[in-house]
Amino acid sequence: MELVVGVDVGNSTTEACLARVGDGAVTLLATALTRTTGVKGTPKNADGAVTAVRAALERAGVTPDALHRVLLNEATPVISGLAMETITETIITESTMIGHNPATPGGTGIGVGVTVAIGDVGDIADGPEGPVVVVVPPGWDFDDVAATLNAAVDTGVDLTAAILAGDDAVLVTNRLTRKVPVVDEVAAVEKVPLGMLSAVEVAPPGRTIRTLSNSYGLATVFGLDPQQTRQVAPVARALTGNRSAVVVRTPTGDVTDRRIPVGELTLRGEARTVRVDVDAGAEAIMDALARAQPLVDATGEPGTHVGGMLAQVRDTMTDITGQPASEIAIRDVLAVDTMVPAEVRGGLAGEVALENAVALAAMVRTDRSRMQAVADRVADELGTSAAVGGIEGAMAALGALTTPGVERPVAVLDLGGGSTDAALLDRDGACVAMHVAGAGELVTKLIDAELALDNRETAEHVKRHPLAKVESFYHLRHEDGTVQFVQEPLPPQVFARVVTLGADGPAPVPTRLNLDAIRRVRRKAKRRVFVVNALRALRQVAPRGDLRALDFVVLLGGSALDFEVPDMLADALAPFGVVCGTGNVHGTEGPRNAVASGLVMAYSEAAP
Amino acid sequence: MKERPEPPTIVVRHGGAPGPVLREVCAGAEEEGVPTRVEPSGTPADAAVLAHAAALASPLEVGVGIDADGTVAVHHASLPPGAPALALASGGDPPGWRRAGAVAARIVTGLPIA
Repeated sequence: MELVVGVDVGNSTTEACLARVGDGAVTLLATALTRTTGVKGTPKNADGAVTAVRAALERAGVTPDALHRVLLNEATPVISGLAMETITETIITESTMIGHNPATPGGTGIGVGVTVAIGDVGDIADGPEGPVVVVVPPGWDFDDVAATLNAAVDTGVDLTAAILAGDDAVLVTNRLTRKVPVVDEVAAVEKVPLGMLSAVEVAPPGRTIRTLSNSYGLATVFGLDPQQTRQVAPVARALTGNRSAVVVRTPTGDVTDRRIPVGELTLRGEARTVRVDVDAGAEAIMDALARAQPLVDATGEPGTHVGGMLAQVRDTMTDITGQPASEIAIRDVLAVDTMVPAEVRGGLAGEVALENAVALAAMVRTDRSRMQAVADRVADELGTSAAVGGIEGAMAALGALTTPGVERPVAVLDLGGGSTDAALLDRDGACVAMHVAGAGELVTKLIDAELALDNRETAEHVKRHPLAKVESFYHLRHEDGTVQFVQEPLPPQVFARVVTLGADGPAPVPTRLNLDAIRRVRRKAKRRVFVVNALRALRQVAPRGDLRALDFVVLLGGSALDFEVPDMLADALAPFGVVCGTGNVHGTEGPRNAVASGLVMAYSEAAP
Repeated sequence: MKERPEPPTIVVRHGGAPGPVLREVCAGAEEEGVPTRVEPSGTPADAAVLAHAAALASPLEVGVGIDADGTVAVHHASLPPGAPALALASGGDPPGWRRAGAVAARIVTGLPIA
């Protein structure tokens, strides 16, 4: 009988499996889990490995000197990187448009007139006749604004609308003798050109503007000819869906919707090289990739976005592996189309437009794993022998076999942070392993970008936890519609907010989007990364690339603990007649500890 | 003929509140579209106490309390009296008072207050 411990150093966690091995039988004694120290595959991992081993020994009540051997995994020889670029851009020139959505605009309807500063409105009666739109700078009190406007109307000024810097549209409108549409919270109101024809539109609550979001509406208001109408079409489009808007007609002002040249991606396969314009979108890129398979390297056109993106990935790889950038070959890419809200350049009120973006995950192979160095240090510290053994994928499959209800041939799908890894262990014990780019990190990045959170931590929360809407100080409605009453009042900062329900209680998601929209973004990101990659990876290990030839698929890795990804994958694989579910290693460990356990089992099988 | 019932309001109770504070608090609620009713309090009290009493008196269960120093509290009838939804120390500024009124209105309309 021998006492051995398998240790799996992962990207984020290090797991240990302590067992007694002899006569072809494995008796599990204890498992342990700790945080990985240092970057996976570097000597620093030894600290975490030793901690995990000690914890397992302690749990089993065994002293370190009884230990015969420590078995370490050979790290998956892939590292992945991410890059994202927006490929469209909306620019407003000469401050011609205000298309933001203040929470509380005033009045309703449309007003067309020449812009006049409120300070000059008293002089108008003697000046040019005609309708005016009054522009109010910050610092004006609502009573004074209303009084000034009422006085002007009394002297015969044809007031048609107002644009305010502060948040007082309702207050001002309530005090006006002549009700006109009022748009407020225009932060850069001083940039509104004066003496120009402009139109202000406010829709009734629950409605969106009708005239300024319609190209012919704009043509009617401003008397445009067909050529000019063609030019203002992007303005109309940019204002679609708003409750209020301002359009100022200046001689040269414009809104342009620019497509940024993204460049060409060159996919060099073993048999042929395929070029694809990244502009064409994710689907075209993935089609091109399928034609180029197996991929030898991917490069981007220098001086373009895609060139920059791949250079960024290569730089990260160089930092991690110490390999020169020229030696780094990209072996897989995953492209995902996404829509990213971005602040409009030249906007006056922090306007946001949805821009198209492409996210790329890339994966490189590395032969610079320094697991042997980790093993040496572990052996030193524990005073025992340590060995690096077994391909990670094969070990994971062996460990997954301890899941109740599973038999060979079994395929495992390890849903990690950077890459999605598949391995197939057949009846004879032969194993194939494949790795594809894109996993949990890409999901987080997509959520972060699409919700404009600009905070990885918050995006991670949205990814990991279900959502709820706080409906009062004492109850919240979960995303499935279930209502929960709480005994203690919920804190004011989450009142009426969409929250994530993590271990630390409800945390607000800082966005104006409603729960359904956030949920859609989250699920779409997971589906576009995990479902796409699961099918891609499994096809590469399945006999003849046929998913129907698979029997059991066991999900492993951190993302297998996700509250919805396993269901999505089971749904996606169901049509192929595959049994798919989250692993339960040893019937107790869930999707954890598969590789550590597999190391012990492989040792036992190899032992004489 | 039956008397028309008064529309529901947020109740603003104050123990001799400074005029500008009262004005801005009411403006904050008005901008959000929710009416207020101002009630001077007979006995001087702490803003949070005034606010909770005001919330209990409000058909909308939301009250604002302002004491003579210009301390402002926003309360909901269901909250513990000592834990208002918002508390502003005295010596605040007009945007802060305006926000307090907006917070009171947003508790009624179910919009985020932070």
